[in-house]
Amino acid sequence: MIEALADPVLIIFMLGLVASSYLMIVNSDKKTTSLMMSSLSFALVGIISSAYTYIIHNKMVVQGSTSFCSSEGIVQCGSVIGDPQWNNLFGVPWGIFGILSFSVLIFLSLCLYLDRHAKWSEDYLNYSLWAGMAGLPFVAILIIIELTQVEGAPHICPFCTIAHVSLIGYVISVYLLRTRRNMGKWSENEG
Amino acid sequence: MFIAIFFKYHSEQVYELLKVNEYLGGLITMARRRKPLAKKGRDDDVRVISGFILGSILTVIMLVVVIIAPPATIGPSEGELAPDFSADAYNGVNWQNFKLSDTFDYEWEEGEKGEWIVVQFIDTDCPYCWTEGETMSNLYSEWSTTVEFITITVELSITNHDSNRAEVEAFRDKTSYGTEENDGDGCNSGRNDCLNRPGTPHNWNYIEGSSGIMRDWEITGTPFLAILQPNGYVAWNQYENSGENIEEAMERLVGGSQ
Repeated sequence: MIEALADPVLIIFMLGLVASSYLMIVNSDKKTTSLMMSSLSFALVGIISSAYTYIIHNKMVVQGSTSFCSSEGIVQCGSVIGDPQWNNLFGVPWGIFGILSFSVLIFLSLCLYLDRHAKWSEDYLNYSLWAGMAGLPFVAILIIIELTQVEGAPHICPFCTIAHVSLIGYVISVYLLRTRRNMGKWSENEG
Repeated sequence: MFIAIFFKYHSEQVYELLKVNEYLGGLITMARRRKPLAKKGRDDDVRVISGFILGSILTVIMLVVVIIAPPATIGPSEGELAPDFSADAYNGVNWQNFKLSDTFDYEWEEGEKGEWIVVQFIDTDCPYCWTEGETMSNLYSEWSTTVEFITITVELSITNHDSNRAEVEAFRDKTSYGTEENDGDGCNSGRNDCLNRPGTPHNWNYIEGSSGIMRDWEITGTPFLAILQPNGYVAWNQYENSGENIEEAMERLVGGSQ
C-alpha cells in the first residue's frame, strides 16, 4: 500500500491538490481571485488525472498490464481500471468522461477568471456550481463500484481518487465564490 | 401662451442654463451626486480566448495520451482487439469468474506458436446452436491442444428461449434436463432433453453472457463464431466470411489439426 502511495506521479497530483486547497482557504486581499485560481487549479488537476487514468486504461487493454500503477493490494488500479465490466460507461472509458467533464469546468472557470465583471459572469458561476454538482453522483457511484463491485473488491484506485477529490474541491471552491458574490464581495476592493 | 409652451418643452434646458449661470456666478456650488458605477467587463469576449486555451490544453493532453498509450480499436471485426468481458463461467464442476483477457498472450507475434481462441455465442434454445453442438465437439477433438474454446451463452428475446444455469450446465455436460416432448421444457426451445444434444460433452468454459457482452460483440443472432489470435485480436469473424466455414478457417489460420 505504501509503495502504491509513494508513486512519484501520484505525489505530484497530491501536491496539486494541496496547492489548490491552499488557494481555497488562504486569507488574502484578493480572496475572489484566489478562489477562482483554486477552482481552476482543481479542474486542471482533475483533467490531467483523468487523462492519466485513460493512459492506464489503454495500457491495460493493449498490454494486459501497466507499470504506471500497481495491480496488487487494496490501493491499486489494475483491478479497477482493468475490469472490463466496470471500467467504462456504454463502452466509453471513464477517463474520457473525466476529460470531457473537467474541460467544461475549466472553460467556465477560465471565463470567470479572465472577466469576472462580464454580464454573463453570474450565469457562468451558477453553471460552474451546477456542472460540478452534477458530477458528484458519478463520483459516489464510482467509489461504490471500486469498493464493492470490481474483481477482488474492495480496491481503491489512487489516480481515480485524485480525480474524485478534484471535483469535490472544485465544487467547494465554486460554492465559496458564489457565496462571496451573493454577499457583495465579488470585487477585490469590497472585502 | 407661447412662453408657457416653450417652458413646457424646454424646461430642462432652461433649468440647466440657469444652473450654469449660477455656477458661473459663484453663488451656489453644484455637487451632482452620481450613482456608483457597476464595474464593466472587458470589451473583448474572453470566452473565445478561453475556448482557445482549453483547445490547446486538450490538444496537448490527447497528444501525450496518443504518444504514451495509443487507444486500441476494440470490436468483433477482423483486425480489432476482441471486446473483453468478465463474467461467471461453468467449467464442468462449478461457476467461477472468467475474464477473457486472462487468456490473451500479449507478447505473441505473428508466426509464433501460441494458443488461439475460438469464441462461440449460443442460446441453448436455438435450433442451430443445438446442431452446432456436434461441430464444436469435432473442432475440440481436433484442435484442443492448440486452441482454447469458449462458449458464451445468451438469451435471445424469443418465446421459449428462457434459460437458466441448470439448462446451461445440462447443455454443456449433455445431462438430462427437460423432456423429449415439445412442451417448452429443456433445450432446443423446449423440444428436447439436453441429454440428447448432438456431439459429445463440451469440456471447456461456458460463460454466462449478458446484454452488455452481446452489445460489445455486436451479436444479432446465434450461433456466432469467431477465431482470435493468441494476443486477442480477431482473426476470423463468421459474419465477414460467408464463403468459408469454421473448419476451413481453422485449417487456414491455426494450421493442420492433430
